[in-house]
Amino acid sequence: MREPEAWLYWMFRILPHLMLFAALMVLWEWAVASGTINTIMVPRPSAIFGAIVELYVTKGTIYEHFFITLAEAVFGFLIGAGVAIALAVSSSLSESFERYVSPYAVVLNVTPGIALTPIIIAWFGYGMGSKIALAAVICFFPIFVNTLTGLRQTDADREELFRSFGATRRQVFLQLRVPAALPLMFAGLKIGLTTALIGAVVAEFAQATAGVGVLMSRFSFALDMASSLATLLSMTLIGLLLFYTMEFLDDRVVFWRREARLSAVSRARARAWKSDAEK
Amino acid sequence: MADMAAIPAAGGASLRQRRLLTHMAIFLTLILMWELGAQVGWLDPLFFPAPSAILTSVWRIYFSQGNIWYHLYISLGLVLAGFTAGSILGIGLGAVVGMNAVIRRFLQPYVIVLEATPRIAVAPLLIAALGFGVTSKIAIIMLVCFFAPFINTLSGVINVDRDRMELMRSLGASKMQVLRKLVLPEAIPVIMAGERLALTSALSGVLVAEFIQRDQGIGTLILTYTRNLNMASAFACILTLTLIGFLIFKGMEMLDHHIAYWKNEAGLRRVGAKRARAWAMSQKGNAHA
Repeated sequence: MREPEAWLYWMFRILPHLMLFAALMVLWEWAVASGTINTIMVPRPSAIFGAIVELYVTKGTIYEHFFITLAEAVFGFLIGAGVAIALAVSSSLSESFERYVSPYAVVLNVTPGIALTPIIIAWFGYGMGSKIALAAVICFFPIFVNTLTGLRQTDADREELFRSFGATRRQVFLQLRVPAALPLMFAGLKIGLTTALIGAVVAEFAQATAGVGVLMSRFSFALDMASSLATLLSMTLIGLLLFYTMEFLDDRVVFWRREARLSAVSRARARAWKSDAEK
Repeated sequence: MADMAAIPAAGGASLRQRRLLTHMAIFLTLILMWELGAQVGWLDPLFFPAPSAILTSVWRIYFSQGNIWYHLYISLGLVLAGFTAGSILGIGLGAVVGMNAVIRRFLQPYVIVLEATPRIAVAPLLIAALGFGVTSKIAIIMLVCFFAPFINTLSGVINVDRDRMELMRSLGASKMQVLRKLVLPEAIPVIMAGERLALTSALSGVLVAEFIQRDQGIGTLILTYTRNLNMASAFACILTLTLIGFLIFKGMEMLDHHIAYWKNEAGLRRVGAKRARAWAMSQKGNAHA
C-alpha cells in the first residue's frame, strides 16, 4: 500500500516544477516567434531541442568531444590532487617543510591560474597534454589548503589520549589525523574537480583540436546559438557527473558523517565480527 | 614547541630573523640555479626564460616601453565594472530568494544545474550574442561574479538563528528591522567571503574574455607575447597578475575586518569606543537642553 502513496507524493512535488518549466518554455517560444526577442541572441527552445537531438542522437557528434574533455578534466584532477595531497601531508608532518614551501603555495594561489593558459599551451602543445596540465595547476590549491587545514585541526585532547595509550606517531597520524581531515579534504576535492573542468574547457577555448570547448566556440562563432547551447548542456552534464561521483565517494569514505551510512557500516562490521566470533 | 616559550623576546626576534634569512637563502639558491641552468643552456629559453631576462622584461614593459599600463587600465576597469554589477545583482537576488520560500523552491533546480555548469564556458556564447567589445566582456565578468555572492547571501539569509528571529518577532520588530538588525549582520561575513571569491574569479573572467577576443587588455598581452615566443615578457605579465591577486586578497581581508568589525577584537573595540563617544556627546547635549 505504500507504493502508490510515495508515487503520488512525488507527483505532487514535481508537477508544479514541470508546469512552471513548460510555461516558461511556451512563453519563451512565443516571445521569439512573435519577434519580441532577437533570434540571434536567444534561439527558440524548439531549435535548442532540435540541436540537442541532432548532437546527441541523430549525428552523435558530441560523444567524442564529451569524452575527451571528461578525460582531460579527470586526468588533470588526478595529477593536481596527487601533488596537492602529497605536499599537504609532507607539510603537516614536517614543520620546516611547511615553513619553506607554503610561501610558494600562497604565491601560486593569488595568481589567477587561468593566466597561465597561453604559456602552458606553448609548453605542452595543442593536444590533450596542455589541457591536462592547466586543469592540474588550477585544481591544486583548493585541495592543498583543505587537506592541510584538515590535517592540522586535530583535537589536542584526543591526541593526548592517543599518546597516553602509547600510540606511535604513525598511529596518531593514520588513525587520528587522517580520519579527522577527510571531511575537509573531500570538500576541497569537490571544489577541485569542478575547477579542473573549468581549466580543461578554458584551455580548449584558447587553442585545441577537440573537446566540448572547441565545439562550443565553433558553434558560437558560426552564430549557431542553438547548437552552442546544446553543447553547453554537455558541460553541465560533465559537471554533474563529476560532482555526483565525488559526492558518492564522499558518502562511502567519510561514512561517519551521515547517520544512515554510519548505521549501515556499523551493522556490517557487527555482522563481520559476529561471524568471526562464531568461527 | 614547549621550549620555544621559554626563549625571551629578544631570542624570539633573532629566531625570526634566522628564519627569514633561510627563506631568502632558499629563494636565492633557486633563482641562481634557474639562472645558471638558463645561461648554460640546460633550460630552453623558449620555455623557461632566465630570471634576469624576466627582470629585464619587467623593466621594459613598465618603464622603458611602458606598454603594460594601458592594458592594465583596460582590464582592471572591466573587472571593476563587471564585479560591481555582478555582485550587486547576486546579493540582491540572494536576499530576495532567501527571504521567500516559494521562490526558493521553484528556483532550486535551475540553481543546481547552473552551479554544475562551468560559468566561464558561457563566454563564447555571450560574445556571439553581444558582439565583440566591452559589452560582452562585462557580461562575462558579471556572470562569473554573480554566483558566489548569490549563493553565499542565500545561505547567510537562510541560516539566520531561528530563536533570535522569533525573539525579535515576539518583541514586535518590523520586517525591515529584522532585516537590518538581525539578518544582514549575521549574513555579512558569509557575503564578504562570497565577494572575495567573486573578485578573484572576475580577474579570471576578464582574462578568458580577452583570450577569446584578442583585442586589448592584459590577457591579450600575455597571449601576444606567448605567440611571439617572448616568454620572458609573458612571465613578467604573470608576475603583475600575481601582485594584483595579492592586493585583491589583502584588500578584501581589510574590508572584511572593517565591515564585519564584530568578528575581530580590535574592530570591536574601535567601533565600541566610537559609539561610546557619540553616546556621551548626545547625553551632554540632552543635559544642556
